[in-house]
Amino acid sequence: MSDLDRGRGWRRWLDSRYQITPLIEFLRHKEVPKGPHSMFWYYLGGTTMFFFVVQILTGVLLLMYYQPGEATAYESIRYLTTKVPFGWLMRSIHCWSAHLMIISLVAHMFSTMMLKAYRPPRELTWVTGYILFALTLGFGFSGYLLPWNKLAFFATSVGTDLVKSVPLVGNWMLQVLRGGPDVTANTLYRFFGLHVVILPLAFVALIGVHLLFVQRQGMAPPLGAKVAPRGMKFFPSFALRDLLLWLFCFMVLLVLAVFLPYGPGIPGMDWELGEKADPLAPAFPGIKPEWYFLWEYQLLKEFPPHLFGLEGPQLCLLVVTVLLGIWAIIPWLDRQARRDQPSPGFSDFGWGAILFLTFLTLKAWDIGASGPATSPASLKAISWICAWWTIAAGVVIVGVRFWVHHHRWFFFTGAALLHVVLHGLLGLSYLVAGAIAAILAVGVVTACIFRDRRRQANAGGSR
Amino acid sequence: MAGNTSNQKSTRRGFFDFLLGASSVAWLGSLLYPVIRYLKPLDRAGAIGPTRLTKEELAKLEKERFVIVPVSGRRVLVLQNAAQEVLAVDAKCTHEGCTVQFLPAESAIWCACHNARFDLDGRVLSGPPPRPLPKYAAERQEDGGILIVAERRQSE
Amino acid sequence: MRIFSLALCPLVCIFATAVAAEENPLASSAKLTGLLAAAGPDGKPVLSPEQRTYFDGLNDHLKALLTKAVDADIITRADHLGSILALGLRPQKMEVFLQDNCVLCHTDPEVQKPETFFPLSQESTNSPAHHLNLRDFVDDAHFRRGLSCAGCHGGDPASDKLEHSFVKEWPGTGRDKDRGWVLSFCARCHSDPTFMNRFNPALPTDQLAKYKESPHGKLLLETKDPRAPHCVSCHGVHGIRSAKNPLSKVYPKRVHETCGACHANAETMAGFKLPDGSPLPTSQLAEYRTSVHGRALLERGDLGAPACNNCHGNHAAMPVGLSSVSQSCGLCHAGNASLFDGSKHKQAFEEHKWPQCAKCHGNHGISKTHDAMLSGGPRSLCTECHQQYAKDNPECTATADYFYASITHLDESWNRFGVIAEQLAMKGLDVDPIHDKLNELADTVKQARAHVHSFSKNSFDQVAAPGNQAMQSISTLVDDAKSEFRLRQLGLLTSIVLMGLVMIAIYLKLRRLERQEDRSHQ
Repeated sequence: MSDLDRGRGWRRWLDSRYQITPLIEFLRHKEVPKGPHSMFWYYLGGTTMFFFVVQILTGVLLLMYYQPGEATAYESIRYLTTKVPFGWLMRSIHCWSAHLMIISLVAHMFSTMMLKAYRPPRELTWVTGYILFALTLGFGFSGYLLPWNKLAFFATSVGTDLVKSVPLVGNWMLQVLRGGPDVTANTLYRFFGLHVVILPLAFVALIGVHLLFVQRQGMAPPLGAKVAPRGMKFFPSFALRDLLLWLFCFMVLLVLAVFLPYGPGIPGMDWELGEKADPLAPAFPGIKPEWYFLWEYQLLKEFPPHLFGLEGPQLCLLVVTVLLGIWAIIPWLDRQARRDQPSPGFSDFGWGAILFLTFLTLKAWDIGASGPATSPASLKAISWICAWWTIAAGVVIVGVRFWVHHHRWFFFTGAALLHVVLHGLLGLSYLVAGAIAAILAVGVVTACIFRDRRRQANAGGSR
Repeated sequence: MAGNTSNQKSTRRGFFDFLLGASSVAWLGSLLYPVIRYLKPLDRAGAIGPTRLTKEELAKLEKERFVIVPVSGRRVLVLQNAAQEVLAVDAKCTHEGCTVQFLPAESAIWCACHNARFDLDGRVLSGPPPRPLPKYAAERQEDGGILIVAERRQSE
Repeated sequence: MRIFSLALCPLVCIFATAVAAEENPLASSAKLTGLLAAAGPDGKPVLSPEQRTYFDGLNDHLKALLTKAVDADIITRADHLGSILALGLRPQKMEVFLQDNCVLCHTDPEVQKPETFFPLSQESTNSPAHHLNLRDFVDDAHFRRGLSCAGCHGGDPASDKLEHSFVKEWPGTGRDKDRGWVLSFCARCHSDPTFMNRFNPALPTDQLAKYKESPHGKLLLETKDPRAPHCVSCHGVHGIRSAKNPLSKVYPKRVHETCGACHANAETMAGFKLPDGSPLPTSQLAEYRTSVHGRALLERGDLGAPACNNCHGNHAAMPVGLSSVSQSCGLCHAGNASLFDGSKHKQAFEEHKWPQCAKCHGNHGISKTHDAMLSGGPRSLCTECHQQYAKDNPECTATADYFYASITHLDESWNRFGVIAEQLAMKGLDVDPIHDKLNELADTVKQARAHVHSFSKNSFDQVAAPGNQAMQSISTLVDDAKSEFRLRQLGLLTSIVLMGLVMIAIYLKLRRLERQEDRSHQ
C-alpha cells in the first residue's frame, strides 16, 4: 500500500535501532470487540484521559502565572483572570475540564461495572482504575484550595476535618494534611505540592499501568454478548472515532468555558473567585464541598454525634470504608461473572449504589428547602422532595431495565428505593431507614443464595 | 475507464487529505494563538508586582500634586510633598469610606465628608476617623516613572 | 566552761528571737494569723483561695502595713479582711488603702450603718443612689492619685479616733437643700492651675467659670433650684473616672444617658420654658436616638459622631445660638457649612432669624438626607418656604429642579452601571477599570449633593461635570467590555468552525479507510 511505502523510510530507520516492527504489528492488529452491543461505552476511558491531558496542558499554563502563598495566591489568580490575555480562558477550561473529567470517569467506572469488564483476567485493571478514581478526587480537592478564596478556604476546613475521625492516626493525619492544626498558608503549600507534583506523578504512573493492562489484554466484551469474530480495528477505525469524540468534547468544553466561565452556578460547581480567604472570619452558612463529595458530606450530617459507643463521624467513616472496600473487591466477590455467567445481582448493586448516591447528593443541595435549611420543617421538606425525585429516577431505571433489557433482579435497587421511601416519605431517620432496608436486602439475597444452592444440590443429587 | 475512475479517486483522495491537513493546521493555529498571547508577560505590572503609573497619571501628579491610582482593585492616593518626595496612602477614608484628597497648601490629606485630616504618613490629625490610612511604598524610577509597591502596614 | 555556756544560751536565744522577730514581723502577729485561718460557721475557711494567694503575693511593706492595721484592732473580722484582699489592688493603691483608717473603718460591716458602709459589689453601679460602692471607689481617679477620703472630707487618716473634723466647705447640715457648696468643694482644687499641674497639666481648670455662665450654673446659683445639676450629677462622686473610660458617665457613648436623666424626664423638666413661652421639650433624647448621629454613635459605635456635649458644650452647656448653628455643624461638616455661608441663603436666614442648618435638617432628630428633598414633590424642603418667601423668583425653583435632575441622573447612572458591571463580571470579563470609574462617579455624586448648599448652578456644575465625564468613560468601558465578549464569542465560533472542518475531514477519511478495508477483505 502506498501509505506504508511512504512511511517505510522512517520505519526502517527506527526499526533497525529499536526493533519497532513487533509493536507496529501489534498496533495494526489491535481490535475492539464488536457485536450487537453498543460500542459507546468503550470510548469513555479515552474521554477521561483526554480531559486529563487538557488538565495537564492548561495546568502547566496556569503554573506560569500562579504563585502559591498567602499574600500571592488569590492576587495572582485575580491578575490571571482579569489582565493576562486569555488567562480567563485557561482558568475556565481548567475548571470545567476537571468536572467533565470526573463525570466521564464516573460514567466509565459504572459502565465497566455494569458490563462486568472487571471479571478475570481483568481484576487488576479494575483495581488500578479504582486507585485512579481516588487520585482524581484528590486532584479535585487539592486544586480547589489553590485560589485561596473564602469558598475554598472553608470547604477545605470542613473537608479536612473529617480526617480527624480516623482512629489512632486521625490527629496525626489531620496535621500532616493541613501542615498544622488549622488550615493556613502551610496547607496551601502542601496542597500545591500534592496537586502539581505528587498526584500527577502517581496518576501518570498508574495510568501507564492501567493502559498497559488494557493493551496486553484488549478491551473486554460485555458478558454473554455474541461477539463478532473480527472486532473493529483499533487503528484507524476506533482511533479516528475516538479522535472525533475528543474533538466534540473539546468543542463542548470551549462553549462552556466561554459562556459559563464560573461554572453553571450550582452550589458545589461554582468557581467564581469572590473574596480572598480570611482565616479569622467566621464561616458563612451554606458552605458546600464540590458536588462529587456532596454524598459523603450529607451522609456525615445524617449521623448523630454519638452512636454505639463511637463518635458519629467515626461510625460514618467506618460505614463508608466498608462500602468503598466492597466496591474495590467486586472482581473477587462477583463469582457469577468469574464463571462468565450472567450476574444480575451485581448490576443491580451498581444501580442501587447510583440511587443511594443520588438521594444523598440531592439532599445535600437542600432541594425543596423552605426557609432556613437547618430548621426541622425544612429538613422534612427536603427529604420529601428529594425522595420523590429519587423515586422518579428509580422508576425510570427499573422500567428501562425490566422492559428493555429484561432484567429480573431488583433487590438492591428495591432496597435503595425502600430506604428513600421510609426516610423521605414516612419520616423515619435516615440511619434507621437505611438499617431496615439493608437488613431486608441482605436477608432476601442470602435467602435467594441458599435457595439456589439447595436447588443446585437437589438437581445435582437427583441426576 | 478504470484508469479515469482511479485518477478521479486519487484526486478526490488528495483533496480530502489536503482538507484534513489544512483544517488541522488551521485549527492547531487557532489553539496556539491564545497560548502564545498568554505566555508573553505584560508591561504594566505583575500580579503582586508593582503598579506603574500611566503617562496621564504622571501628568496629573505633576499638575495637581496628587493623583488617585487603581492598584489591584484598590484606590491609592499618590502625592508629591514639598521636598518633591513621592508618597502613597490608601485613598479610602477609614471613617465612612469617602475618597480623600491632598491639600498641598496645608501639607495635609483631607476628607471632605466629615472634615477629617491626616498627615502625609496617613496618621489621623483630627476628625472622626478611627484608624490611620494604610501606607503604600512609592518609588521613583530612573526613567521618571513611579512604581507603587505592595501594601505596607502602618506601624503604630 | 560549763557556767560560761550556761550563761551564753539564754543570750543566744534572746538574740535569735530578736533577729527572727526583726526579719519576720508576721511571726509576732498572732491576730493576723488567726484571721487568715479563721473558719466560718460551716467549718470552711472564710478567706477564699484567691484572696489567700493575693495575700501571699503582697510585698513585705504592705504585709507590715496590714499587720499594723490588724494589731491596732482596726481590722478585726475575717470577712472584712477578705473583702479588702478580694479587691486585688495594685501595690500603689493598696499602700494608700492600708494607711487610710477612714476607708478601713468604713468597709467594716460590723461597725457601720448601711448609709455609711462601703460594700464590695462585683460590678460598678455608679448611679447617684449608690455613692458607696467600694469597687467604684478604688477605681476613682482621685483615689488612684493618693487622694483618699480626707482629701475631700477632711480629718486625719492616720488617726484611729472617731473624730470627724470636716473642712469648712463640707456643710454639716442643710447640704441637701442648696447644693451650691459642691461647686466650690470641687473647684477648690480643680480651678487652681498650680495645684492641678502637680497631677495632670493637661486638664483644664476653667470648668467652674464656664459653668457659672451656663443655664445650669444660673439655675443653681441664682435661682437656687434643687433640680439644678452640679459636678456630682454628671461625674459621680466616689467613682469618678476619666471621660475616656468606657465606664465613666461622661464617656461619649454614655453622655446621652447622663444628660437624658433630666432632660428626657417630663417630671423633672416641668415648669421650664423656651424663650417664646412654650414648655421646654423633653423629646430630644428620643429624637437623637433615631438620628444619623445617634445611630452612628450608639448603634455602630462610631466615636467620631457627636453626642450632646459636642454641640452644646460640657460645663458651659447651653442651647446652640442662632448665629452659631452653622459653626457648630461646620466643625465636622466643614464643606457644607462653608458653601452655605457663602450663599445667598445665609443672608436671608439671618434676616428671618432662622437657625441655618437646623431649619432644613433639624437639630436633634437629624435624619438621612434624600434627593427628594430637592424635588417639587411631597417630600420637598424648598417649596414650603419658597411659596411664602422669594415666591416671585422663578430662578429658585428652576435651580432646585436642576439640582434634583442632575443628582438623580448621576445616582441612577451609578446604580445602572453597577448592575451592568455585575453582569459583565459574571461573564468573566475584567471589570476593575469600570469599578474604578464607578468610584469616581460615586465621589462626584457626594460632592454634587454637598454643593447643593451653594444654591448656585455655577458652583454645582463645576463638581457635577467630572461626573458626566465619568459616566462617559464608564459607557465607553462597558462598550469595550461588551465588544471584548463579542470577540470571545467570535473566537469560539472560529474555533468551532475549524474543529467542525477537521471533524468532517476525519470522518471522510475514516469512511474511506473503512471502505478500503472492507474491499480488501472481500
